[in-house]
Amino acid sequence: MTRLNVLLLVALIFSAIYLVRVSHESRRLFADLDKARNEERLLASEFERLKSDKQSQATPLRVEKTARDKLAMRTATPAITQYVEVARAVNAASANGGTR
Amino acid sequence: MSWRDKVAGLKAKAPAKARSRSPGANSRAVSYATSPLLASKTPPWRSKFLVALVGLAFCGLLGRALFVQVIDKQFFQRQGEIRYARTLELQASRGRIVDRNGLILASSVPAPSLWADPKDFEADTAQRKQLAKLLGMTGKELTDRLDSNDNYVWLRRQVDDQVAKDVAALNLSGIHQVREYKRKYPEGEAATHVVGFTDVEGKGQEGSELAHQKDLAGRDGTRRVIKDRLGRVVEDIGDSVAAVDGRDVELSIDSKVQFFAYQRIRNAVAENKAKAGSVVVLDARSGEVLALANFPSYTPADRRNLSGEQLRNRALTDTFEPGSTVKPFIAAWALETNRVKPDTVLHTAPGKIQMGGFTISDSHAHGDLTVSEVIQKSSNIGSMRMGLMFQPREMWELYTQVGFGQKPQIAFPGAVTGRLRPYKTWKPVEQATMSYGYGLSASLFQIAQAYTVFANDGELIPATLTKSATPEAHVGGLRVVSPATAKTVRQMLSLVTGPGGTAPKAQAMGYSVGGKSGTAYKQEGKGYATKKYRSWFVGIAPISDPRIIVAVMVDEPSNGKWYGGDVAAPVFSDLVQQTLRTLGVQPDIDVKTQIITRDVPAEEESF
Repeated sequence: MTRLNVLLLVALIFSAIYLVRVSHESRRLFADLDKARNEERLLASEFERLKSDKQSQATPLRVEKTARDKLAMRTATPAITQYVEVARAVNAASANGGTR
Repeated sequence: MSWRDKVAGLKAKAPAKARSRSPGANSRAVSYATSPLLASKTPPWRSKFLVALVGLAFCGLLGRALFVQVIDKQFFQRQGEIRYARTLELQASRGRIVDRNGLILASSVPAPSLWADPKDFEADTAQRKQLAKLLGMTGKELTDRLDSNDNYVWLRRQVDDQVAKDVAALNLSGIHQVREYKRKYPEGEAATHVVGFTDVEGKGQEGSELAHQKDLAGRDGTRRVIKDRLGRVVEDIGDSVAAVDGRDVELSIDSKVQFFAYQRIRNAVAENKAKAGSVVVLDARSGEVLALANFPSYTPADRRNLSGEQLRNRALTDTFEPGSTVKPFIAAWALETNRVKPDTVLHTAPGKIQMGGFTISDSHAHGDLTVSEVIQKSSNIGSMRMGLMFQPREMWELYTQVGFGQKPQIAFPGAVTGRLRPYKTWKPVEQATMSYGYGLSASLFQIAQAYTVFANDGELIPATLTKSATPEAHVGGLRVVSPATAKTVRQMLSLVTGPGGTAPKAQAMGYSVGGKSGTAYKQEGKGYATKKYRSWFVGIAPISDPRIIVAVMVDEPSNGKWYGGDVAAPVFSDLVQQTLRTLGVQPDIDVKTQIITRDVPAEEESF
């Protein structure tokens, strides 16, 4: 009887310690998860910022200025544009690499 | 032997000893010393009293336990919870505003706010100087700000990410950061009148930001958590309400067209030394607004020292008398009701008519003009002759149907109704002036929308600023005139831009265009200012198969030119070429024909 009690006591103590350990572990993991989630949110908003930054760098104003000044491009006018129909374009492209 | 027996044995022994050492004493007295000399007699109530005291103390503890555990349980549980549980705000992010091609017009980016605790704040002179520089203030401003409050001072709200990092790198005590978001507008001043802006709390204040506030805002969520000693979240408790992010709003604006429209009107205002200018570009088939620009404008990111002049979205909020631009409607209705044919001759000589004490005149006498020529040369008298064929009610209904005096069906703050008085109060002379566009008022946006009647074979299409769900679908509108009439009027409109018309400068290379110019003295107080003009041009392109409607208005051009055909028409021409090219519309006329008509002098229009 006493032996059984001792055995149970040891089991109880072991289980209690294990419980403490597991709950500590779960809290630690949860904290990590939370940290990761925060980081995800941070990165997402950073991504959003970079996207809008990227677009500020590619506004029509800038594109046009660069095209005009640096690349010496001109606006295409109908006078120098040859329009081709889609159906014809396929044939032309296969024949002589037609451009628009 | 159990411990109970031992204690009982001890109790039994003690009195036995006492009895043996001091016989005759009270059998229940307790002796405190082994030496009989020192033995004093204790009254028996004393021990009883002590036991009672201890018992009482226990009762007190029991009562306290009862109070803490049962009676006032909630208070203590709450106090406990306050010490470990935290409610976290889950910030919903505001939706983006994008243009029809998905390019960002407005989005939220992280922008930390910096605050200081002046009591904790410590920095030497060099550090202070550096901090002030980073925050963009002078050293004195920084000191003043720190002195303004003892506990909490905003140093600067919503700074750039980089600035916040630099400040953090200074590693000063007493400076903290709060995570906040601010709106970023990549297109800047070009699209600002359409996009609008938000206040520092992220609430829409102007433009689409205000119009779509509900969709964009989203809903903040909350979350109950347990935090440990180090401030880490270790457990979720209770129900958490997830944050609902704001929805993205897709506008019908095309950034490229919008930018070009803004740039072109800005240049036109500068060239003509004008006060202001507006442009509206509509997709003629769907009624979508491709561009809506005004000058002067402002940079949405820096809104200090803004004036009402800059803030005003003139295309929607400023009304003016539409003048010559209503003449095509009068002609269309006269054709529709078979009162005239395009080649019916109207007498406009001698260029001046007295009516009810009011002189109606053309800028110069034309003699006899056909209906087409009345539109082409913009004759007030010719238009008046047609207008007076109608009943007042008929004319009022016509104007109402095309949207004059009606609030535009557009979800946008500040769109005005314009003015069209009820026909019952019209005097004959008013009906006469109204037939060439005076005595009623409309915004540029309303005029552009009205021209969808001609572009869409007689159906008025409500203009919209949000992208329609079904692209390229033909929107059914309100039928005002028959397709045949609309076609005839389109031909008349193309004559306006031809030789002998009022606006040959509206011609676009490669594309056939048609439109109507307008010029007016500006209304000032009750009368008209003599040296102040307003010039505008509304047109359709390509006229053979309309795709876009462009309306241009320049306010107070004062560089020697003021006719709509000289000031606004060139802007129209540039915009048509650029926009149709962007939309990938094939030129519908031979490019060479363009060159011949270029140097034809403009016909002076009447106003």
